Amino acid sequence: MIVRRIVRWFDERLGAARFVRTALNKVFPDHWSFMLGELALYCFVILILTGVYLTFFFTPGTKEVVYNGSYAPLKGVSMSQAYESVLRISFDVRAGLVMRQIHHWAALIFVGSIIAHLMRIFFTGAFRRPRELNWMIGVTLLLLAIANGFTGYSLPDDQLSGTGLRIAYSVVISVPVVGVWSAFLVFGGEFPGNEVLTRFFVIHILIVPAAIAVLLTAHLAILVRQKHTQFRGPARRERNVVGARLWPTFTAKTIGLFFFVFAACAALGGLAQINPVWIWGPFQPAAVSAGSQPDWYVGWLEGSLRLLPGWELRAFGHEVPNPFFSGVLLPGITFMLLYAWPFLEGRFTKENREEHHLLDRPRDRPVRTAIGVGALAFYAVLFVAGGNDVLASRFNVSVNFITNVLRVALFVVPVVAAFFTYRLCKELAQRSPTAGEPEAPPGAELVVRTAEGGYVDVEEPARTP
Amino acid sequence: MNDDVQETQERKATSRTALAFGVTALASLGLAVTYWAGGQEQIEGSLLAIALGGLGFGFVQVAKYLLPQGPYVEDREALPSSDEDQAAFASDFERGEGWLSRRGFLLKMLGLAGGAIGIAALFPIRSLGPNPGQSLFRTKWRRGSLVVDEQGEPVGVDTLDVGGALTVFPQGHLEVEDSQTILIRLSQEDVVTRPGRELWGPEGYVGFSKVCTHAGCPVGLYQQQFKKLLCPCHQSTFSVPDGAQPVFGPATRSLPQLPLMVDDEGMLRARSDYTEPVGPGFWDRGT
Amino acid sequence: MGMSGRLVVPSLGGLLAAGLLAIGLHTAGATEQRGGQNPGNADRGHRLFLVGCATCHGANGEGSAQGPDLRGVGAAAADFQLSTGRMPNTAPDRQSVTKRSPYTRAEIDDLVAYVASLGPGPPIPDVHNPPGDLQEGGELYLDNCAACHSAAGNGGALNVGRDAPTLHGATPVEVGEAVRTGPGNMPVFGRGTFTPQQLNSIVRYVEYLKKPQDPGGLSLGLVGPITEGLVAILVGLGALMLITRWIEPPAMRQEPPAVTAPEDQQ
Repeated sequence: MIVRRIVRWFDERLGAARFVRTALNKVFPDHWSFMLGELALYCFVILILTGVYLTFFFTPGTKEVVYNGSYAPLKGVSMSQAYESVLRISFDVRAGLVMRQIHHWAALIFVGSIIAHLMRIFFTGAFRRPRELNWMIGVTLLLLAIANGFTGYSLPDDQLSGTGLRIAYSVVISVPVVGVWSAFLVFGGEFPGNEVLTRFFVIHILIVPAAIAVLLTAHLAILVRQKHTQFRGPARRERNVVGARLWPTFTAKTIGLFFFVFAACAALGGLAQINPVWIWGPFQPAAVSAGSQPDWYVGWLEGSLRLLPGWELRAFGHEVPNPFFSGVLLPGITFMLLYAWPFLEGRFTKENREEHHLLDRPRDRPVRTAIGVGALAFYAVLFVAGGNDVLASRFNVSVNFITNVLRVALFVVPVVAAFFTYRLCKELAQRSPTAGEPEAPPGAELVVRTAEGGYVDVEEPARTP
Repeated sequence: MNDDVQETQERKATSRTALAFGVTALASLGLAVTYWAGGQEQIEGSLLAIALGGLGFGFVQVAKYLLPQGPYVEDREALPSSDEDQAAFASDFERGEGWLSRRGFLLKMLGLAGGAIGIAALFPIRSLGPNPGQSLFRTKWRRGSLVVDEQGEPVGVDTLDVGGALTVFPQGHLEVEDSQTILIRLSQEDVVTRPGRELWGPEGYVGFSKVCTHAGCPVGLYQQQFKKLLCPCHQSTFSVPDGAQPVFGPATRSLPQLPLMVDDEGMLRARSDYTEPVGPGFWDRGT
Repeated sequence: MGMSGRLVVPSLGGLLAAGLLAIGLHTAGATEQRGGQNPGNADRGHRLFLVGCATCHGANGEGSAQGPDLRGVGAAAADFQLSTGRMPNTAPDRQSVTKRSPYTRAEIDDLVAYVASLGPGPPIPDVHNPPGDLQEGGELYLDNCAACHSAAGNGGALNVGRDAPTLHGATPVEVGEAVRTGPGNMPVFGRGTFTPQQLNSIVRYVEYLKKPQDPGGLSLGLVGPITEGLVAILVGLGALMLITRWIEPPAMRQEPPAVTAPEDQQ
């Protein structure tokens, strides 16, 4: 067969048969939550595919041009090249708008699936030794994904993203000592400057995707080297992995998943409008729209900026202005805690003395689960706060009232959520004391057949205390 | 499981897969036709989703019903390398270190060289932007600057009704971000917002920097009845008759007020630039 | 007493239809016809005023603790407040809201004529002449109106429970009147601020915002990234997580593993 001849041609030159065979026989645990990381991976692939397409049509420039395309309400209006090229993609390039929308929807789902994956890793304790390194790489990937999202939606130079850029600029200049210089270097001067669009373009299409690709490769390589964790169950031990082989079953499943992820993004991209920049209008430094919002994964930062009351530090002619605390300190502490979590928990539980390859059920670790849920609640309140004006006008409530309520809720809701989670975990753990597997009938032995055909006894799976 | 049941299941899965791939083929044809016929976003997205979904469905059917399920077991060997391997690695690595004994200062010199060239390599970053200098302390308003609206039309005493508001710039500097000013007419008589500003509000006109002192968004919402300015970004609220004093929200500082005057032709002009830096705070603002 | 039986039913039917039509015209016509079409009668308006408005606005429109002085507000203000049903205001301490007016169109015209006679003020603008320019209107709208009413015309929150309402239900005349008179917390944009041409352009753009182009699909109310994010996570990611569960159902395999991995693996 042709395939065999091709394979032999490569093998004569690479001698990779043994290596590839080992790789193809790799076992993947058979739980659906292990595929959340793949959701993120495939979103990344879709972003690259649609992104490359868009780069063939987008012009990252601030030069003023006069619009002469087919969107009538903006005909004759002066705007930047960047904005004009996005209008052209949306109205005058066949299938351009669908590609643009698939790209943007995929970006929103990309960050969401990273966070879903992060939650699975966190709540099952998969970050413990020996996987602290991969956890840190993963948190970095989350940061990079958010950064690419922000730079990406700022590229069209529309009013909405331009407002966000102004806020970002103000947050940068709020940094003590180096803030103003940093902003002037990044933006090329006072806001808005003429440089930031082209620089964001390079960051968005080259620097961050390359960094993501490198870190993703490392992430997957470490995963292959360390092998997956797995949930407890029949015959699942610290010293093995039970599941499906990479080839052919897992490959087929994951290819199927890729097509479904793409299908979901395509469905949204064609049926649900996203970021209608023609309604926001081209960016004008003195204009703004009521109800301005960043993309969802930045919403928690926006909420933080809205909730912090008018406090700042001023002394000896210097000041640390308000946006520093809400826009720099809060996210800084957030990510520091994220990075440090495996080490913090390990220090506390002393579990970092040995490797862990069997996962916890969340209910069996009530403290960790409660802390995780409390943290999620905290950021959820911030996210809600980011839309306080939209809530106010949709539900006819005073925005001042909502803001004050959320200021209190920010501290009350996480505590309450954590408390109830803790109690729930205890209750659930009490009801199902073992790790979900059925009790073996009395006198039963578990045996495993080896490759030679013989049988070996396997010890009982460990019971959760 | 029972062989017959399994065979039926496999047969059904096979036909489902074939059907799914057939749907993909049809949908792809539809996509091509749609594109050729001029394109339509909702049809393009739906057909693409169907085409991709067909492929996905087919592959998953194959994976679930036609391929070996296992489960398989793979042994996990201990991660840390064996003691022999670690020792061998250590001795091989030390092969490259022997020459350093009694020459430790070479390593220090290398450190000096590397550090120096690294720091030197950072210098081109300086070219990314200009020296901030006094940029954040001054706008384009000067003594005598003519107040113009966003179309460039000069603003006179008759431009605004009482209760009106408008975004204005100094003539010749339209759309310069730090110079944007919100002009409000409070009454027909001169307005004094704070001591020392007796001459700043001729004939009811007051002007404030539109750059919010919190995070820089344009403070575009003037509430005529409350006489308050509201920033839509984070809801900082400023009381206009008190000199745009912040009364709610994260802003900590009043919006700077532009000193105004009326010239002989009834046109509004600035008396001077703003007397303090506009916009959000920064480290050196108080100096 | 003389009507033939054959005609009773159709006659009654006709009367019923006519009656319904009359009621329909009476209520529907009140807010849907454009203001300014028919100049009203100021005397009739004065009588209506004394009944429905004087309690708060004074017998001669001079105002009181409950209602502002109406002398000099002009026909535009009166027509706006009455056509949108904001006036009569049943809750004066809160923001007045659009509601069905208890007055007919003719009655509103009379009241407007009376209020206009109280003093010189902005007339009802002619929002169709000179014809507005859509592009100019868009630029002016985004510069001056979007800050409160949002770029899509959805409205926006103001302080302490007030809001800039959605513009999707406003007629062109109402938009023009509001711009000229600055109702409630809205600033006043008089003829010195916007020329009649500029005003009509803004009106034209607001009209466009009622049915803007949505080539991308469902507009999700043009609210912005919050709704987009909710859809992405709840619909997009949610569906994908369900699909993932379908691909790999969570049933724990009961039987022990059949085959170990070959020992010659490295």
